[in-house]
Order: sequence, then C-alpha cells, then structure tokens
Amino acid sequence: MLMVQLACPKCGFVIEQYGAEQLETDAQKQKRYQYLRKKQSLCPSCLTQTAKLEERRVELEAPPQAELMAEAEAPPEARAEGEAATPTPFCDELERGPWPSHVTELKQTRYHMQMYEEGLRQKRTQWGFGGYTSIPGVASGILMRASARPDIAKGANLVRAFCPSGTFYSTKTFRALCDVADRHGYGILHLHATTCDIEVLGVPKEELRATVDELVAAGLDVGSTGDAYRNCQECIGPLRCEMVLVDSVAMRQAYFTRFLDDVQYPRFPHKIKFKLSGCPNDCTRSQQKGDIAIVGVFRDPPRIDEARLDDWVKNGGDLAHVVRMCPTRAMEWDGRRLTIDADACVRCMYCINKCPAIRPGGDRGVAVLAGGKMRGKYGPLQPFLIAPLVPAIPPDFKEVFDLCAKITDVYDEHARRKERLGDFIYRTGIDEFCRLVGVAPTPQQMVAPRINPFYHWTPEELQASRKEA
Amino acid sequence: MPGVGLPPLEQNLPPIVLRNYAKWVDHEEVRPGVLKHVAESGEECYTVRAGMPTNARVSTVLARRIADLADDFAGGHLRFTRRHSLELVGVDPARIDELIERLRGLGLPVGGTGRTFRNTVSCTGWIHCQFAATDAPAVAKAISDELYEDFLTERYPAKLKISISGCVNQCGEGSTADIGIVGIHRDLPRVIDEEVARCEIPLIVSVCPTGAIRPKPPKSVQVDPERCIHCVACAAPCQGMQIGDPETDGLAVVVGGKAGNSGNGPAFAKFVIPYLPNTPPRWPEVTRAVRQIVEVWVQGARRDERIGDWIARIGWDKFFQKAGLPMSDKLLDGYVLWPMSARTGVRFHW
Ligand code: HEM
Ligand code: SF4
Ligand code: SF4
Ligand code: SF4
Ligand code: SF4
Repeated sequence: MLMVQLACPKCGFVIEQYGAEQLETDAQKQKRYQYLRKKQSLCPSCLTQTAKLEERRVELEAPPQAELMAEAEAPPEARAEGEAATPTPFCDELERGPWPSHVTELKQTRYHMQMYEEGLRQKRTQWGFGGYTSIPGVASGILMRASARPDIAKGANLVRAFCPSGTFYSTKTFRALCDVADRHGYGILHLHATTCDIEVLGVPKEELRATVDELVAAGLDVGSTGDAYRNCQECIGPLRCEMVLVDSVAMRQAYFTRFLDDVQYPRFPHKIKFKLSGCPNDCTRSQQKGDIAIVGVFRDPPRIDEARLDDWVKNGGDLAHVVRMCPTRAMEWDGRRLTIDADACVRCMYCINKCPAIRPGGDRGVAVLAGGKMRGKYGPLQPFLIAPLVPAIPPDFKEVFDLCAKITDVYDEHARRKERLGDFIYRTGIDEFCRLVGVAPTPQQMVAPRINPFYHWTPEELQASRKEA
Repeated sequence: MPGVGLPPLEQNLPPIVLRNYAKWVDHEEVRPGVLKHVAESGEECYTVRAGMPTNARVSTVLARRIADLADDFAGGHLRFTRRHSLELVGVDPARIDELIERLRGLGLPVGGTGRTFRNTVSCTGWIHCQFAATDAPAVAKAISDELYEDFLTERYPAKLKISISGCVNQCGEGSTADIGIVGIHRDLPRVIDEEVARCEIPLIVSVCPTGAIRPKPPKSVQVDPERCIHCVACAAPCQGMQIGDPETDGLAVVVGGKAGNSGNGPAFAKFVIPYLPNTPPRWPEVTRAVRQIVEVWVQGARRDERIGDWIARIGWDKFFQKAGLPMSDKLLDGYVLWPMSARTGVRFHW
C-alpha cells in the first residue's frame, strides 16, 4: 500500500501517515494533512522542534503499528534512576503541614524528584521545550516535554484522555487507569488537569501507542491537545443538581458524537475550549474561560411556591437577607408576601440558590458565548454573548451545535494563525463577527449601546436611502 | 485506536445517579464535607467530599486506596469535582463518620462545601513546565496549609476559591478565582540565535502582541525592551525564545474573580499585588498576603458576599485602605483595554 508519511527531518521518526488513497478521498484527513505540513512540529523521538516535516512516499505492506508496540520492551533509561539518592530538602519541606502534599504523591512514583528539587532550589524550572506532538493514528492527545537537565532525566511524554461524564468513575475504570499509569508511565496521574482531562505522565515514546490503546480500551478516549476542539467540560447537572435547566451531560455526549473528528484532528488557528453549564451558576466557569461557553438560562421570572416559602420562613429561613442581597433589588417582602419584579430581575440564581421555595422560571434554553480566554493578546477576556436563548433539544442539541460550528467555521476561515477566538472577535468587533456568523443582533448582547457614531453602512443600505429620496 | 468518544453513561455512573437522572429536587449541606441531595421520589443521596493532594497529583498508590474506599462505601464509584476534590456519592448515612475517619487515614481532609476554603486549582509549575515563573503546586500547598482549618469549618461569609498559575498563560487559572496567584516574568526573553533559526520567524513575530519582536537577519530576531510586556507568547512556538530568570521572576496576587451570575456577576480578578519574590519552598510572603486579604474580607463582608462582590460594594479604593495594601504604579492599567479600569469621575471612597 502506498503510504504518505510526514516525518521528523532530523531523526526520521514518523509523526503521521496516511494511505495515499485515503488522503485523496477523506476530506478530514486532507485538512489535517495540510495543517500538519504547514505547522512546525515537535518530534517525540529526538525531542526537537522543526519548522517543517519531511514528506515521504513509501510502499508498505501494513501500517507499522505492530512494530512500534514490539519495541516497548527496552526499559527507558529515564525510569531506572527513579528517586535518586541525593537528598531533597526543599521537597521534604513541602511534605510538612496538614494539607495532603503533591510531593508525597510524587515520591511514591518513578517521577524524578531531583528535577523538582533542583527547580525549587534554583528557583527555575528544569524542564525544556515542549508542546503537542503526535504519532501515526493519534493526532491529538500526546504532549512531549524535553529536559533542560538530561543528567537527571530525559524528556517525558504525557498522554491526555477525556474524563468520563460528570467525572464519575466506576472503580473498574479507575483501576484500569491506574494500571496504565503503572505499566507505561511514572505511576502518577493528574486527576484532573484544569480542563478536566486525565494526564498520564512519563510515557516513553515506544509505549505511546500501547498507552493510547489501553486507555481507549478502558473507555477513556484520548485527545484534547493541539489546535483543535478540546475536551468539553460539563457541570454535574442532571446527575446530582436540582438547579439544572438544560441537560449538560447529554449535551457533552452529543458534542463528542458530533465533533469527535474536530476534537481528535487539530486543524484550527488555535485551541478551542468548550464549557457547558446547566444554569447561570456556571459551575464550569465557562463565562470566564470558554472559547465557547454554553450556559443554561430561563426567560420567565423565578417561580415562588407560597406554601413552601411559609414553611421555610417558619423554620428560620432568613428571607429578609435574601431580599436585601438580590443584586437588582427585584424582590419585595412585607413579612407575608414575596413578589419578584420580573422587569428588574436578571435571572442571576441567587434567590433560587438560597431559598428552596423559589425555583427557576420556564422557557429554558442556552445562551451561547464565544471568545473567553486567560491570556491571549490583550489579557484575560470573558466570552462575548452571541445568542441569549437558543433552544436546547436533546438528543443532538442541533441548534446549539450548529451555531457553535458556524462560529468556529468563521474563526477557521478568517483568523490568523495562533490567534485565539476571543482575540479574533476583539479584532473584528462584535458587530462584524455577528454578521460573519449570521446571527441577528439582540439587545441582550450589549450592556449598553455604543457611545460613538462610527459605524459602517453597506452600499446596499445607501442605495436604499437614495431610492427613497 | 482513538475515535471512540465517550463511554456510555452506564459504565461509570452509580445506579442512584442513573435512577434519579435530572430528577433532583433539593439539597442540604449537612456539615462541611457532607451533602444530602433529595430526588423527586424522596430518595436521599449522601455525598462526602474530601480535599485532594495539591496540584491534583495522585500516585497510583493513593488512587488504588481511594478505589478500595469507593468499593467499600460508595458501591464502587467515585468522582472528582471541577476543583478536583474527591467525592464519594451514595454513601450510607450511618457510615459517614467511619468513612471520614478512613479518608483522614489516607491524609485526605473532609470539608470544602458551603462557606469554606475550597480545594485549590494549580498548574504543573516546576514539576513539569518550561514556562513557570513560580512553582504553582508548592504555592498551592503553602496556602492550603495556611487555610487548612477553614476547609474544615464554615467561618467565611461565602465560599473562597484560590487558584494558582506558574505564569501568565494561566493554565491553572488565577484570574478566575476569589484569590489568584499568577507567576510573572519580569525580564526579556533571551534569544538563542541558532535555535531561532530552526523556527518559523514570521510566526514568532506575529504572535507578539506589542510588536516587540523584529527579524534580525539573517535568521534570528531581536526583542525591543521598551515594548516587551513579558507575556510568554513568543516562547510557546519557538525553543529559541527563552523566558525565565531565577533572580527576577516572581508572582502577583489577584483578587475578586468569580464565574457565577449572582452578586456582581462573572468577573476576572484584579491585580492587587504586582510582584512578590519567589521564596521556595514555602513562600511566606504569599501566605501572609493571602491571610491578610482573607481576614479583611471575613470582617467586612455581608453573608453570601464573595470577595469580588464585597469589593464591588465598597469600592477598590476602600479595599486597598482596609487591606493595608500599598499602591503601586503597576496597578494602574496602561495596556490596550486600560479605559475599562480607569476612574473617570470623582466618586471616591475615603
Ligand atoms: C508548554 C507549556 C504548557 C504546559 C505544561 C501547559 C499545561 C497545561 C495543562 C496541564 C492544562 C490543563 C489541560 C487539560 O486539562 O486539558 C492547561 C490548560 C490551559 N492552558 Fe496550558 N500549558 C502550556 C502552555 C500554554 C500556553 C502557551 C497557553 C496560552 C495560550 C496556555 C493556556 C492554557 C489555558 C488558558 C488553560 C486552561 C484551560 C481551561 O481552564 O480549560 N497553556 N495547560
Ligand atoms: S451550573 Fe447550575 S446546573 Fe450545573 S451543577 Fe452548577 S448549579 Fe447545577
Ligand atoms: S434571580 Fe437574582 S435578580 Fe432575580 S430576583 Fe432572584 S436574586 Fe434577584
Ligand atoms: S500556567 Fe504557565 S507555568 Fe503553568 S503550566 Fe501553564 S504555561 Fe506552564
Ligand atoms: S514576551 Fe510577549 S511581549 Fe515580550 S517579546 Fe515575547 S511575545 Fe513579545
């Protein structure tokens, strides 16, 4: 079979390969191939960075995956050292005190404590360059990090896997995960990294394939690195929360069903992080960090259950305090009757959280926001509201994800490389961005209208006025 | 091979959760670390929450012990929260005390619900990252030790979330939290010409937000010290752009971030201490500053007011006076979005 390979020009390690036929017929693979060819890459084998991968066409009998796995025998030398005999006074200090310590955990594994100890002692990291990498068939989910101290440890790869729904594990899955970390990694897990991915650290390159396969077999598919849709964080919602307005867990399942290719084949200008919250309490912090934030919302004012309210007040519920702390002063309570001013209320959830007799109103859906991030070009930016109320209809949440796909299509087409979605929207302006995406403007999108008169008119709009005149 | 997606819900969800899917009607914080949720059917579900080792680093040794506890007490299921605390769900209420003891035996404190100090979130820092200006895990450990008691008991007006990142990329958050710590570099990136020659120079030039990077023929770049804002952007795509200097790196403290819509609504935290030096392994300056900010909040805020909501009510000028924090020219924003935080009227707090 004729294979097209992209390999490290320095050491020849194959980073990605496709059947030549497949490359001609499969649009997703083509996009990915074009993306990889343009992008500088990190080689998980020689741990160096190259501006361009080498393209090779080779005749192969079968994809060489079996061979990769067979290699796994050789014990990586990084492992053998384990905890060096050298003392680790700085690390030891971090084991003191009542809070459970990460150092105690690291010490029980094959992680090179001396890397960390030297970091603490010298006040600088001992790790070298790193980033996303891939091996054939695994385009997303593997990171590598070189070492600045090859005398202590060689570089280390790590594998990222998606947490299961609600971050619930059966102990069977959980033990399978431990087995993978013990067999192929240092024996340390990151539970979880900030986007709620599982990270298995310290996997030698020969064992990457086996690690991925074993994780997938345990029900933990890998991905969430590179310029792709990332793991999508959902709140616990229907699994154990009475506030839930839209089924965040089903929505995440639908996300993975619909977008799995976009998740596992990086090809966008930069990473895109989705966060789903079932209500405006926003337990996933989507309104701060979501490149795409999807938040359950309701339109009708909060509902008051009079009988229950009496009960609650009789049992010591401090309604006066809740009324006082309502951010819009929408509530009034004369000691007997509670009213909520539907015009003033911003559906913030405060009274609903505090008083079990007040429940969210009807007419529910999701708000879609875009462009949150923590650094970007202009510092942290919260995501901008794109649509205030989109119907969220299980099982596939088509309207919601159609809109998301449109947003990222526009981003894919117009943004510069390594420009985060939020920076792109900032550059184009929310007005132009909404035009590109094709969503109608809503008053909910602005805190206040603009205070300058500097807006654009299209030639068609001018033409229309001329005709009238 | 990848390409499978998420496992079916049944694989990992406990039966009590599947049975009552989207049918929860009520909950109660029984005591710190213990939650009771009630479903439509009247079924009650008890959850015990415990703090996890800082940085969410778990050895398989501890992970397996936790799995044993989950088998013993929670029908073979466990979960982690969005702040990486451990939760055992569906625990028999009669055995909660026993479970709490067993968790303590593993070194895991039970608490972190209601008006408490919550599990910290931190990035990998010097454990495994090349950009870290400070070691987020160690800072998280120092702060967690300092506020340990507040994880166990409800002493605060509202919850307190603290997040720590080793650099301005904020992988471990910081700006999202009530109190955040963000590692900062203060010196210019060093340009290693031979390494830069192997990178995409146009990309390095274009990622710089201030245009501080210019090509330096034949195959390298130079950095304009007047323009560089130490944002780390150029270090990510090229190993020849090295940022980090042990003598001048340090960290900053930010205050008042939150995501929920109650109170003053979602907001990022604001920089209140522009620089503290790195003093490993315990960072005493940082724990002192955090303690100072927490105590003025506890004294001044109304019930249910998170730090950011409290400050929104009294004003940042008042907050600085109350907290006894020194003013610095670094706190006045001068970057692209600066008019968002500059005062334009004369409504001061004295
Ligand atoms: C090579 C050095 C880096 C390391 C070791 C690193 C590490 C991490 C890790 C472990 C996570 C959690 C990921 C997950 O759960 O999937 C994360 C998330 C994150 N990273 Fe990085 N990262 C690096 C570079 C960067 C860069 C260059 C940026 C800025 C563009 C960045 C911005 C972020 C942000 C904002 C998050 C949080 C996302 C969220 O909360 O969902 N990181 N990083
Ligand atoms: S975001 Fe809302 S629905 Fe989701 S877990 Fe939090 S409170 Fe519950
Ligand atoms: S939802 Fe918020 S704004 Fe509306 S009445 Fe309740 S507390 Fe007030
Ligand atoms: S915040 Fe900075 S130091 Fe921490 S993991 Fe991200 S890039 Fe590394
Ligand atoms: S650190 Fe940021 S501002 Fe400074 S040169 Fe690099 S990209 Fe430009």
